[in-house]
Amino acid sequence: MKFHIEVVHPERCIGCYSCVYACSRHLFNIIDPSKVAVFVRVNGTLANPFTVIACRFCKNPECALVCPRGALQPLPEGGITLIVSKCEGCKTFDCITACMIRALALDKMTNFPIICDRCGDCAKYCPHNVFKYEEMK
Amino acid sequence: MSSRILYVNLSERSSRVVDRPDLFSKYLGGSGIASKLLLEEVRPGIDPFSPEAPIIFAAGYMTGVFPCMVKAIAMFKSPLTKNLGESHSGGHFASALRFAGYSALVIHGASEHPIIIKIIDDEVKVKMADSLWGLSPLDVEKALRECSYDGMQSVISCGKAGENLVCYSNVIVDRFHHFGRLGLGAIFGSKKLKAISILGRKGIPLENPLAVKEIYEKLHHKVVTSDEMSKYHNLGTSANMLELNELGALPTHNFKESRFKDAERISGETMAESLLRRKISCPGCPIACIHLAGLKTSFAPEHERGKKEIFYEEVLVPYNYEAMYALGNNLLIKDKRDLILLIYRCESLGLDAMMMGTVLAWVTEAFEEGRITLDETLGIKPAWGDAEAYIKIIDNTVEMKNKFYAKLAQGVVAASEKYGGREYAMALGNNGMAGYITGYGAILGPLVGARHSHLSNSGYSIDQKIINQPISIEQIVDFLIDQEDWLYVLYSLGVCYFARRIYSKEVVCEALKTLGIDKTQDELMKMGKEIFHNLYKFKVREGFELSEQNIPKRIFEVQTPHGKLEFEKIKSMMDYYIKKREKEGLHLKPEAKALKELLK
Ligand code: SF4
Ligand code: SF4
Ligand code: SF4
Repeated sequence: MKFHIEVVHPERCIGCYSCVYACSRHLFNIIDPSKVAVFVRVNGTLANPFTVIACRFCKNPECALVCPRGALQPLPEGGITLIVSKCEGCKTFDCITACMIRALALDKMTNFPIICDRCGDCAKYCPHNVFKYEEMK
Repeated sequence: MSSRILYVNLSERSSRVVDRPDLFSKYLGGSGIASKLLLEEVRPGIDPFSPEAPIIFAAGYMTGVFPCMVKAIAMFKSPLTKNLGESHSGGHFASALRFAGYSALVIHGASEHPIIIKIIDDEVKVKMADSLWGLSPLDVEKALRECSYDGMQSVISCGKAGENLVCYSNVIVDRFHHFGRLGLGAIFGSKKLKAISILGRKGIPLENPLAVKEIYEKLHHKVVTSDEMSKYHNLGTSANMLELNELGALPTHNFKESRFKDAERISGETMAESLLRRKISCPGCPIACIHLAGLKTSFAPEHERGKKEIFYEEVLVPYNYEAMYALGNNLLIKDKRDLILLIYRCESLGLDAMMMGTVLAWVTEAFEEGRITLDETLGIKPAWGDAEAYIKIIDNTVEMKNKFYAKLAQGVVAASEKYGGREYAMALGNNGMAGYITGYGAILGPLVGARHSHLSNSGYSIDQKIINQPISIEQIVDFLIDQEDWLYVLYSLGVCYFARRIYSKEVVCEALKTLGIDKTQDELMKMGKEIFHNLYKFKVREGFELSEQNIPKRIFEVQTPHGKLEFEKIKSMMDYYIKKREKEGLHLKPEAKALKELLK
């Protein structure tokens, strides 16, 4: 089952990291705020509201455009998939920094970018309805 | 799971990692580990401010793995009680420590100049920090917050109160949480340790991820939907104010009364309607019990050149029931903004609001009685409900302006021993009392609890449950013992006290199994008891005598939901408690000295 997810109410975020932990459990069977495709970022101080970032499933993904090996393949429904055989784990951070909202992180173990697979777990575990999510037909 | 302990020596500015699988397989983490390290690392009779006196931090065994596993445990020798210092904090600290690859952090030594400890995974640095000295913990948090795209960071720091060695100064954790009690801030100050920043960027691997996910989902659902937890989420602990007032268990006017006629004006409900701006949570906990009030102050009036002010600056101030009771109803503060202002002062200076409130209440009464005069207070007239005067007293205490204020900086018991008024110096086990005059549990609990906290064994909570029920005092004592032993199991795992009801014995056994730990409920209880015994071994070794603990007389003069409490009853409860604990093989002072004598 795949979901369309969207951060719609970041101002409601309480910084519980339920989304982040859920994502790392789902993608890597680990608890690790660095190995995720959804991010809760602190802006200079905890007195400021958090920034919540998830992939926006772009129609023309910047991250894919910059990859010289075409390892990030745009999907018809928006967003990307990683063709592992093409990715060199080049560590130039091109794809990571190309994304304006920094929704991509690099897996430090493999040097592959971490791609959201639309499982919807982050949204399901969010207690404050920061995300909107619906099943994709 | 990691069994790595990071040792940092401030005198040598060095660090090393020691792997202690022996310790972790026995005690899992958190309070268990810390209790054992305390016995190992602290030389008997050590001066709390001696450079060798260590600070021990431990993260729970399940930190981050299951919901509400967030608490970090700190142990040290307390400058307030000259005995066991134990304080727990939420926030990012335990998680950041775990993500950096450690389960505990032990700090030895002291520096001559202000320093901080900065940890990024395996990189550990002791750095000069003159520029941070004198800053409020709130400014330190801003200064040290990394602009990092990954990992989790925690910043903890002491305030001016800690720098000046106020015996009940705290360490503020990630701006809104605290190692609040028993004076850890002063231990930081004595070491010239202003702050610790940890950025953890590693993961916590799962042995059996499928099983973890299954239990996680169940527990998360329970936390989010159960009625028990909705209180913490909705109004937070500040909901207690009106509940206790209704019950006649709300300490007011320095415990002279148990109801406050203006409770509604400063209640959690009022706060939520007017000043509440945001709520935040600890990582891994969906509850969000931390309630933040917006405190507006007019922005530079001179800037406006006498015109009607239009600009305000606003700061966020965390409020919870304990701070509200101590600086609110107990001081007859009836203006909500005054109350938040007082809390903010304590936050900015890094003070335990509960002890500070107790001190202010005692000062007001001692002044009324003429035990202290304007000479001592340097011209300030302490008066019930007068926030302005109270703020000046707080500032003078932190600055230790004269001998009197220096005494206040040692806590309410020390002050009353010098100036009199011990009968209304509201402390149990030398720790400022919590905001419950609910019955016998609220008194005996903190008195016997290892860290003299109302959370030691939930005495205040059992009081409320047994109103109008035929429960013997022995049953109350049995509950306190069981509860404290069990809570030490939970504190070894990292469970937040507020989630204690989610983590029943069955649930804990089941959850541990997914992490490869097969322990029966009995084995866990035994572990909890052993942790408690470890702590009491330390306490007795450092000169603590349970049977000689003092109870302020005021306690027996106020109405509670269980009527006026009787001294004789508490005495027999204490006797029974001591007998039971000794039967477990715990060495306490064998003969319980009559408490009556101590009431003189
Ligand atoms: S949908 Fe799944 S993979 Fe994508 S960010 Fe959320 S939890 Fe991670
Ligand atoms: S789960 Fe929701 S509230 Fe919690 S950190 Fe993520 S976005 Fe924020
Ligand atoms: S209930 Fe509050 S203190 Fe406990 S873990 Fe959740 S947010 Fe933190």
